[in-house]
Formats: sequence, structure tokens, C-alpha cells
Amino acid sequence: MAADTRTRTAASSRGLFDRLRASPFLSNLLSNRLAVAGLGIIFAMVVVALYARLFVAGPFGAPLSDLTSSQLGNAQNKAPPGWLAGQGLLTDIFGTDAQARDIYERTLYGAWLALKWGTVTVGLSTVLGVGLGTLAAYYGDVTDNVIMRTMDVLLAFPSLLLALALVAIFGASLGNAVIALVLVYTPRFARVVRGAALKVLEDEYVDATVALGASDPRVLVKHVLPNSLAPITVQSTLNFGLAIIDLAALSFLGFGAAPGTPSWGIMLSEGVNNGLLTGQWWLSFFPGLFLAVTVLGFNLLGDGMRDALDPRMRETVD
Amino acid sequence: MVSKRFVVKRLLLLVPVLFGVASLVFAILHLAPGDPAKVIVGQRASTAQVQQVRTELGLNDPIWIQYVRFLGDAVVFDFGNSYQIARGTPVREVLVERLPVTIELALYGQVLGILFGIPLGILSAVKQDSITDHLTRVGALAGISVPIFWSGPLLILLFATSLGWLPTSGRIGTAFFLPDTWTLLGTELPLTGMVTVDTLLLGNWEAFVSAVQHLFLPAVVIGIYSMALLSRMMRSSMLEVVRQDYMRTARAKGQGAKITVLKHGLRNALIPVITVIGIQFGTLLGGAVLTETIFGIGGIGTMLVAAIGATDYPLVQGTVLTFALLFTLVNLGVDITYSYLDPRIQQ
Amino acid sequence: MSDPLGSTAALRRYLRDGLGLLARSALVGAALGAVLLLGLLATGESERAASTTAFALGALVFGFGTLSWSGSVLLGGSVESAQRFLDTNTDWTEADSRRAMARVAGAGLGAMLAVAVLGSVVAGL
Repeated sequence: MAADTRTRTAASSRGLFDRLRASPFLSNLLSNRLAVAGLGIIFAMVVVALYARLFVAGPFGAPLSDLTSSQLGNAQNKAPPGWLAGQGLLTDIFGTDAQARDIYERTLYGAWLALKWGTVTVGLSTVLGVGLGTLAAYYGDVTDNVIMRTMDVLLAFPSLLLALALVAIFGASLGNAVIALVLVYTPRFARVVRGAALKVLEDEYVDATVALGASDPRVLVKHVLPNSLAPITVQSTLNFGLAIIDLAALSFLGFGAAPGTPSWGIMLSEGVNNGLLTGQWWLSFFPGLFLAVTVLGFNLLGDGMRDALDPRMRETVD
Repeated sequence: MVSKRFVVKRLLLLVPVLFGVASLVFAILHLAPGDPAKVIVGQRASTAQVQQVRTELGLNDPIWIQYVRFLGDAVVFDFGNSYQIARGTPVREVLVERLPVTIELALYGQVLGILFGIPLGILSAVKQDSITDHLTRVGALAGISVPIFWSGPLLILLFATSLGWLPTSGRIGTAFFLPDTWTLLGTELPLTGMVTVDTLLLGNWEAFVSAVQHLFLPAVVIGIYSMALLSRMMRSSMLEVVRQDYMRTARAKGQGAKITVLKHGLRNALIPVITVIGIQFGTLLGGAVLTETIFGIGGIGTMLVAAIGATDYPLVQGTVLTFALLFTLVNLGVDITYSYLDPRIQQ
Repeated sequence: MSDPLGSTAALRRYLRDGLGLLARSALVGAALGAVLLLGLLATGESERAASTTAFALGALVFGFGTLSWSGSVLLGGSVESAQRFLDTNTDWTEADSRRAMARVAGAGLGAMLAVAVLGSVVAGL
């Protein structure tokens, strides 16, 4: 017991970086090839997103209106990828859509939008979840029950249907879609954080700090955050993939991003409306491919992280 | 055996579930901004017109009276008439017509998912860390990552638009016209509304083939997702069972490891997976909404999307309550299956 | 826990405990509902708008509690195992959830009743 406490105190006094390096979590994770592949995909997507934001549309590239409004008149609509039409690899590499906009540029910019709105959704859920989970653990009893049971109920709803219901009430817009999804994801974070917070509360060093007069949840957040960093990261990663898919689904159904936005969900819905029956597969293929690969990246990494956290899962049958 | 009381107890729970959902729906619609009367008469109607519709709908009564009336109507599934989507038609009729379509789709998707997902999960667990295991796991992850609204269009483009093997959308070929009733031993009976069943009942083989061809791609799209989820669950559940002590003992007695796993582990490992099938049914309904939109299937999902878009409140209310009813009934079924597998649960 | 449908005595005990719990939380809810209604009236809302908002909020809490109560009973086992495999460690239990949700539903019901009584008696709606 005494030795245990000493190690813990030593551990908590070391820097975050040292502790991460010493943890079996990171070495477990890095030995998992699939997780590393996921990390690679995410990294590549971040690069694509930044490139699209800076050089495709934005301060150093064409104005955003080139991506959003119709380009009929300048170019051919529904043109197949250049390498299919024998015009060389680099002309219209992904083809053009029904309004003659370049699908390559729009798809790349879609990565920026997906990562941006994914970050907002997951970020807000994390912050809310950390707050609620900490409050529940700290006050216990009635507060704990009310907060966590409410979270349980929200957790039981299927995310897309709940989001649809919320959008039905508050009106269809990207902002409302994000709020709906934040409501859907927050419980997962609250649950994880509460568990970690309860563990920290049992430890003596928080008792000591509280005895010294620092008796408010801020102390807890300070101690809980480092201790629940790993599970929070796992949740964030898994939910990031979900958030991107759910936001795209809401946009696809017409309850998210505005029509014309170069987001993957909107592009897929335009692809279904304009290219499905006439065979212009490139309208749907490329935005969907980017969407699926990005989500796969987050799922691979999240899955690997979960295994690394819970080494039981690695034990073999024989 | 499943006792009658167990089933009765579960069925009784339907009452508070629907009561709760109805209250929630009522509350939310009254808290939400916007006047339903304006939806009906249009934004440009005069105040007098709006007031008249409000009185007709009873919106001018005190709210507690509206609440009691709403609950009374909800008991008999009467949500009034649709405002916009099926203008003037009672919501109940619309639901009765559309519901079998969605149930049929979800059912085939789920069956495909179970048929492939559970064996794959077992295989993956038995051959843990082999190539098979890795492929199955990556495949399952990919299955979860690929959105329905991408796999659906691609399958249509490949098998319908390009190859022409399967139809692009709808539920049955336009050449087929199904009557409302069928005859068994001289009595006329209503049809189920599920095309694959109805065509068989009518003995129309060509129509049945057409229905199956139409349903194939949508069911596969839903099935892939369900399969991916179930195989992951099955794998981890199986591994957990295998690690338990009695399994080690059984292995120590000298039986072959794989046979032991299948014989003793399967039944126990299936229990949590089956319960998840019930909870996952909600996700399946969400998938059905997307799938119906892509394949142009006129089920309850496409209707919900249209009703939300048009703020058709009675239709939205009816759909939400129907989803809740379905979800509860499916979980009741799951519970009964569960208690077959694990007799302890009854006590 | 003994099965409430097992015997008359057990059912009676179950109902007595349950009703007691409901009544206590309904009282709290009624007070909150009344305060909310009066507060809304004080901010200058019309009687109709104030009673609609207060009653609908009560119905929201009541519906949420009722749904969750029955959900806990119905899905208790399923949720516990689903979370064991799909989520990280949890300590969700059916019994806790049921009691907490019965309180929530009771409070919502109390608020609805209080608003209805106050609204029809005081405001004469």
C-alpha cells in the first residue's frame, strides 16, 4: 500500500510526456500494425484537409465560390475523369459533377469540412462529458443518479434516429445537426470520465488536496484529466469516425449542410440524384471513398487503442 | 420453457413505454417553436383562418385537456390526419400501409447479418491471431466504416446501372399489380404488405422473383453493416467465454481445443450477442431510413424524412410511436429467445 | 428482490413502496411546477403561454422518466451486456436506474398536476 502510494505520487509528479512514454499503452499501440495504419490515414487526411483549405480554396487558392456555385458555362458537366477519357492523368482527375464543378477539388475540401465539424462535435461532447462526469462523481448521490441515468437513456437511443428527431424539432441546419450529435455523444464521455473520477477520488492524494482547502471540482478536473486521458482519447477517436459518418448521413438526407456545400454527404446525395441511373459513378465514388477511408482510419486507431488499454483482449486461446 | 407470466410481464411494460414516448412527443411538440395551424393553412393565411384551424384542432383548449385528449387518441393509435405528405389521409392508414415495407427490409437485412456475422465471429475467435482472424476483423471494421449511402449507390451503379442484373429501385417490377386480398380455401384474407410474402401467398412466382431481385441489394447493404457489428461482438464474447475457468478445465481433460470451444462456449457466448441484436435494432431502423432513401423504397423511413422536411407533425408523432413500439416488441422477442438460452434469467 | 407478481402480499408491498417514492417526488415536482408557472407569469407571459410551457416541461420530465423506467426494466440485462462488450467499463445497474427514474417520473407528474390545478383554479382557464 505504502509503496503503491509512493509510486503513484512519483508518477503524478513526472511530466505528461514521460508518463505517456513509460506507459504500456503507447508501446502496445505502436506494436499494433492496424492502429499505426489508422494513424497514418488520419495524418494523411489532416494534410489533405489543410492543403485543401489553404491551396484549393482559401487564402492562397481559388475563392470558395468556385467550389460551391455552378460552373456551367466554363466547363463540361458530368465529365468523366480525364484518365478515362484519354486526356491524360491530371486533367479532371475525379471528373466533374452535374454543375461542372471539379469533383477533385470539392472532395479535397470535403476533408477539411469533415475534420472541422468532426472536431467541433467531438470537442464539445468531450468538454460536456468531462464536466458532467466529473460533477456526477464529485457530488455523488442524487446528482450522480440524475446525471448518469439521463446519460444512460440518451445512450440507449440510436444516434441517427435521435439526431433526426432533434432536427425535426429545431429545424434542419448544420448547427442543429452538430448540437443533436453532441447530445448523442456526450453520454459516452460522461461515463468514461465518471469512472476515472471515482477511481481518483478513492486515492489519497485527492483527499489530501481537498483537506488543504481546495474543495471544488476544479481540483478533480486537474487530477481526473491526466488519469482519464487514455480512455477519453479512445472514445474521442471512435466517436470521431461516428461523428463524420452521422454528419454526412444527416447532410445526405437533407438535414445538415446546405445544398451546394462541398461536404461529402451533400456530394453523395447529389451523386445519387444526378448520376445513379445514368451511370456517372465518379459523382458518388470519390467523395464516398474519402469518407469511408477517413472513418476507417479513426476506427482502426480507436480499435487498436482499446486493445492497448485492455490487454486481456490480446490473450490467445491456446 | 418460457413461462407465460414472463411474457405477460414484458408485454405489460409496453404500456409505460408508449405512455412515456407519447408524453415526450407531446411535450416536445408544444415546446417547439412554430404553430402547427400555420403549417396546414400556409404561412400567408390570414389570422382568422389560422384561428379557425386552431379551434378545429383543439389547440385553443387548455394544455392539460389537450394532453388527456392526445393520450386517449394515442391509445387507439389515432394521430389525426397528415398535414402535408399524405394530405388529409389518417396517419394510422399511412402507417399501416408503409410499416410492412420497412419491417420486410429490416428483417432480411438482419437475417443476412446474423447468418454471416455470427459464424464469422466464431471463426475469428477460434482462429485468434491467424490470417483469417485479421482479415475478418479488418473486414468487420471496414463494414462499419463504409457508410450505407456510399455502398448503396455503388452497388446500384455496378449491378443495376452497368451490368443490368438487378433493378435500380422500387420494390417490385412495374408490370406486376398485386391485389389487396388473397384467397385461402374460399375465404378472402388481407395481404401482409410485404411483397416477398404476398407474391408467394398469391402463388405468383414471377412476381416473387421480381420482388426478391428488388429487395436483394437493399437487404445486402443493411446486412453488411449488421454483419460487421455482430461478428465483432461474437468474437469478443467468444474470447471472454473461452478464458473462463471451466473452459480451461474442459481443455485440460484432453478434448480438442476447437471442439471444446464450440461445444461449451457457443451457447454462453451467444447470450450477450443476442441481447445486442435487440438493442441494435434501433440502429438498423436508422439504416433503413437511409437505405429506403437510396433505393426509392416507400417505407416508413422515406416517409419520416419527408414528414420532417415538411413539418408534418401528426405523421412524425405516429412514426416515432411506431418506432418505439417496434423497438419494444423486438426486444421482447429477444428477451424470450434469451431466456430459452439461459434458463436462469427467468428467476 | 422478490417478484412483485409472485404473491398478493409481494405486490402490495411493491406498490406501497413504489407509491410512497412516487408521492414524495411528486410533491417536490409540484412545488417546482408551481414556482415555474408563477415565475413565467411574473415575467409577463400570457396565462396560456405560461401554462403551456410549464405543463409541457412537466410532461417532458414525466415522459422521460416513464420511458426510462420501463426501458431500464425491459433492457436492463441487454444494456449491461452491451456496455460490457461495446463500451468501456461501467457500473450501470437496473435497480439504480429504475429507482432514479421513478423519482424523475414522479416529479414530472407532480409538476403537471400542479400546473393544471393552479392554471384552472387561479387563472380560470
